[in-house]
Amino acid sequence: MTVVGNSVMGDLSSQLRVALHRVQDWTYPDQLDHDTFQAYMKTPHDVGGEPDAPALFEDKEEEEWELNTFVTCEVLGWRGIWTSEERRRIGNVDLGRTNYLGLPYYGRWLWAIARCLVDKRHITLGELIERVSEVRKRYAEGSGGPIDAAPRMTGNIDGVARNRHHLDAIGMGDPQCFAGTAGAPSFSVGDAVVVRELPTIFYTRTQEYLRGASGTIAKVSYESLAPEDEAFDREDQQAEWFYIVRFRMADLWEAYTGCATDTLQAEISERWLQPAV
Amino acid sequence: MAETDLGASGHDTHQHAGTAPMVEEVTDFEVLEIALRELAIEKGLFTAEDHRRYTEHVEQLEPAAGSRFVAKAWLDPEFRRLALDDAIAASREMGVDWLHPTGFGTPSDFTAFELLEDTPTVHHVIVCTLCSCYPRPMLGMSPEWYRTPNYRRRIVRWPRQVLAEFGLYLSEDVEVRVEDSNSKHRFMVLPVRPDGTEGWSEEQLAEIVTRDCLIGVALPKPGVTSDAVRPLHPAIRPVTSD
Repeated sequence: MTVVGNSVMGDLSSQLRVALHRVQDWTYPDQLDHDTFQAYMKTPHDVGGEPDAPALFEDKEEEEWELNTFVTCEVLGWRGIWTSEERRRIGNVDLGRTNYLGLPYYGRWLWAIARCLVDKRHITLGELIERVSEVRKRYAEGSGGPIDAAPRMTGNIDGVARNRHHLDAIGMGDPQCFAGTAGAPSFSVGDAVVVRELPTIFYTRTQEYLRGASGTIAKVSYESLAPEDEAFDREDQQAEWFYIVRFRMADLWEAYTGCATDTLQAEISERWLQPAV
Repeated sequence: MAETDLGASGHDTHQHAGTAPMVEEVTDFEVLEIALRELAIEKGLFTAEDHRRYTEHVEQLEPAAGSRFVAKAWLDPEFRRLALDDAIAASREMGVDWLHPTGFGTPSDFTAFELLEDTPTVHHVIVCTLCSCYPRPMLGMSPEWYRTPNYRRRIVRWPRQVLAEFGLYLSEDVEVRVEDSNSKHRFMVLPVRPDGTEGWSEEQLAEIVTRDCLIGVALPKPGVTSDAVRPLHPAIRPVTSD
C-alpha cells in the first residue's frame, strides 16, 4: 500500500494562489528593481524562515544508489578531488531553485559529482553521455543482472590533480588544520555584534534571516577558510575566525510567537560580523 | 534472500522487490550513479577498494554511539566535564574517533563537535537550514525529515510549533535554543537526565536516549526506548545489509 502520510501537502485546491503569469519571459534591465534582483540572486539552499505548512515528518528507506552516491562524494573528498564545501555549492546552490526543490536529496549529490568531474576536466561531457547511454543499454533487455558498477580498468591514481587539503589535514582534522593561521580573533565571548548585510553572489553560508541582526558572541569557534573561498577550491586564501553567535528569536522574526527568552545560535565567519554600536 | 515475493515484500506499488536478482528497469539515478562511479575509478580518481572501505565505515555508524555518550555523561561527572569541554576527546575516549576513516575525518562532517547541555530551563534542538549537517560519526545518517526544506524552514522560526508536531510541548519557563549548524561544528543535545532513573546502569540509561532526543525533538522518558514510529517511504531497491 502506498504511504500517504503527507496527504495534506497534496491538497492542491487549498494551495491555489492568484497567479500573475508573465508571458514575456525576457526581462529588460530597467524592469528589475533591487528586491527582485535580490530574490533571483538568493542562494536556494538558504531556506530558514521561509513560510511553509505543517507536514507529517516521515522516514525513508535508503536506495542502494543513494548510499553509493553518498560514499562516492565522501571518497572524492578523501582523495582530494574536491572539498565537501565545493559539493554543497554545486549540489545545493549552483543547480538553481527549480532543480534544488524538485530533485531528490541524493539526486542533487549525484548531480554535483557529474558537474565536478566535468568542470575539473577529469572526464569530458562526451564520455559521461556515452557511458550513461551504455549503462542504460546494459540493463535494457533485463540481462544486466544485479545493478553495480563494472569499471573497464583501474585507472592510474598518479597524475590526477588533487587538492593540498586531503594531505595537509591528515592527523589533525578540519578545521584543526587551519589553527594558528588567522591571527588574533577580533571578538570575544560576550561581545555584541551585528551581522553585515553583504550582497549574495553565488555562495555563502551566512543565512539571509540573520543579516542585519544583532547578537552576542557565545563561543570563539575555530579558524577556517570562509565558505565563500572553500566552496571554490581557493586553498590559497587566508583562514579567518568563526564564532557561534546567539540571537534572540524576537530580534530575528517580526511577531515571533514563542517566548521572549527563546534564542537561536549560528556559526558565522569573521568577515560577516561587525561590532554593535 | 535471492527469492522474493512481490506481494509480501511491502513494495507492491513498485515493479521490483528489494532484492530481485534480475533487474528489468533501472532508474535514471541508478544509471547516472553507475556511470560516474565507473568513470571515476577508470580515471584513477579513487579505487573500488576506497569505495568499499568507506561504505563499510558508513554502515557501522549508528545512533547507539550518541546514546552511550549521553548515558556516560549522566553517570560520570569527569566524563561530562570532558564532553562539554572537548567533545572530540570525549568521543575518542568512548571509541569514536572523528579522524576516521581518512585520517582527517569524514569530508562532510569535519572534526569540530560540540555538546549542547540542556538544563531545566534551556532546551536545545539542532537543524542545518542550509543543507543537512548532522553529527554522522555519533548518530549515523540523518533521518529523511531532518533533510527536508519543511523542517529546515520552520524550526528556526516556529520552533515551539514544530516541536509540538513531534509531541514535545515545552512550557514558557523553558528557553528554546535552536542551533543552526551552518558551518563546521556538528552538535548533539545532552538532555537532562529524567526523574525515575535513579540507580540505573549505563546500558539502561542509554536505551532511553533515542536519536530524536539527541537531535532535540524529544525528551528521554523511562519506558520509552525508541523514536516515534513515522510513515516509512519505501525504496525501490533498498540498501541491503549483506
